[in-house]
Amino acid sequence: MHTNWVGLYTMFRREVQRTMRVVVQTLLAPVISAALYLFIFGTVIGTKIEDFAGVPYISFVFPGILMLSIVNASFASASSNLYFMRFTRGIEEMLIAPFSYFEMLVGFVGSAVVRSLMVAFLILAVGILFGAVSLVNPLAFVFYIAAISAIFAMLGIIVALWAEGFEQLTVINTFVITPLTYLGGVFYSVTFLPPLAATITYLNPFFYFADGVRSSMIGYSEANTFAGLCIIFALVLGLGGLLTHLFKIGWKIRS
Amino acid sequence: MSTPMLEIKNLRKVYGSGKDQKVAVDNISLTVERGAFFGLLGPNGAGKSTTIHCITGIAQPTSGQILVDGVDVVKDYKNARTKVGLSPQEFNVDIFATPEQLMDFMGGYYAIPHDERWKRIDDLIKRFDLEEHRTVKFQKLSGGLKRRAMLGRALVHTPDLLILDEPTAGVDVEQRRDLWAYLKEMNEGGKTIILTSHYLEEIQYLCNEIAIINHGKIVAQGTKEEFMKDGKTVEERYLEITRADNEGKK
Repeated sequence: MHTNWVGLYTMFRREVQRTMRVVVQTLLAPVISAALYLFIFGTVIGTKIEDFAGVPYISFVFPGILMLSIVNASFASASSNLYFMRFTRGIEEMLIAPFSYFEMLVGFVGSAVVRSLMVAFLILAVGILFGAVSLVNPLAFVFYIAAISAIFAMLGIIVALWAEGFEQLTVINTFVITPLTYLGGVFYSVTFLPPLAATITYLNPFFYFADGVRSSMIGYSEANTFAGLCIIFALVLGLGGLLTHLFKIGWKIRS
Repeated sequence: MSTPMLEIKNLRKVYGSGKDQKVAVDNISLTVERGAFFGLLGPNGAGKSTTIHCITGIAQPTSGQILVDGVDVVKDYKNARTKVGLSPQEFNVDIFATPEQLMDFMGGYYAIPHDERWKRIDDLIKRFDLEEHRTVKFQKLSGGLKRRAMLGRALVHTPDLLILDEPTAGVDVEQRRDLWAYLKEMNEGGKTIILTSHYLEEIQYLCNEIAIINHGKIVAQGTKEEFMKDGKTVEERYLEITRADNEGKK
């Protein structure tokens, strides 16, 4: 059978509607957080710091803030969407519909990417207001934003499948994603760190995500771009393969 | 001879493993001919819903084969699913969505193009008397309206096989009669329908083929006339069969 394009579009459309239904939580909250980060790190602290990597500190820190918002938006969108569907048994709508397992994956991940792109667009607008946005490589920027959204959407789906309660839904975010994101050079350069901490940072995959977004925006990179791309592709393929398998065996969704 | 609308061959469904293993459906075989109005009866926990879940893809058969219109629901699941519409026993919906949204999304999932989809939605909204409630959140609807919205959702892609798992539970008498009339009309128009219900007068009124499932096994199957021979009602015959089966298992 052919690819169910109308079905996939319907999944994306449904996520946009769901996003707009709770717009304060889904769009307004991340925009306010980003604006506060920009004000504090960019305007208040940033003006006291010299230019870094040839750009004002606010421009250096903005890609990290944007990535942080995208990570949170895609993870929250995918995990809450699927967990809620499991909780209400709304997932059965998907199971009885003519979607291949791979299409289900694309639908769930794509829906989360759609929401994070909405968030990204709004935060870019806020960044423009603060004079923090530059874009040296728009194609690479779109690639990194989409790839990072997809990775965290897939992690969100895995957590949504695994979780048996609302608390478990937040555990991975609180204890894994948030610390690794903050320690991945979102607000600082790895050159600010002592040697041991810098070495540990190079082992943190989140560092390569932030660095990729930053290099596409301001043209400054501290990581090995090839290694970063390898990590991103490995995660996309690995998580994608794992999730297609989990959908196929119906783990936690098909009795 | 035309292909049966549904063929179930030696279906077995086991939940859990080891000590916690529970055989929900135990080697059942069943054929539903095209155009039949088929009543699937049985006590709570007998295996009716599990069988339906295996047909529709909500559950994975442990062994056996299910063919819908000749299409294997496991091997060619994507194709098989286009042929089936399900109105489930439980309200498995986004409770914040409206009836028209539920139908729109489901129609979209089944790849029905926009204009055709909305024409069908308008028809179904009208047919189920949901005009005043089409933009009301599902959670705010009465039990009867919820059931009608679920039916609309099951029909939006005009399936060949319609499966109704207790579609009139919680529906008042008048609305139930309306629903019966509609289901009868659809069946007379050629739609194959499988119905499970605890209201046996409903089965007697609507169905022309009946099977009884008990403890995961088919314990009786035949035409309505065969069930009602000797002047018995379907309910009397059902009780006779299930009690005898339960006694035999003691």
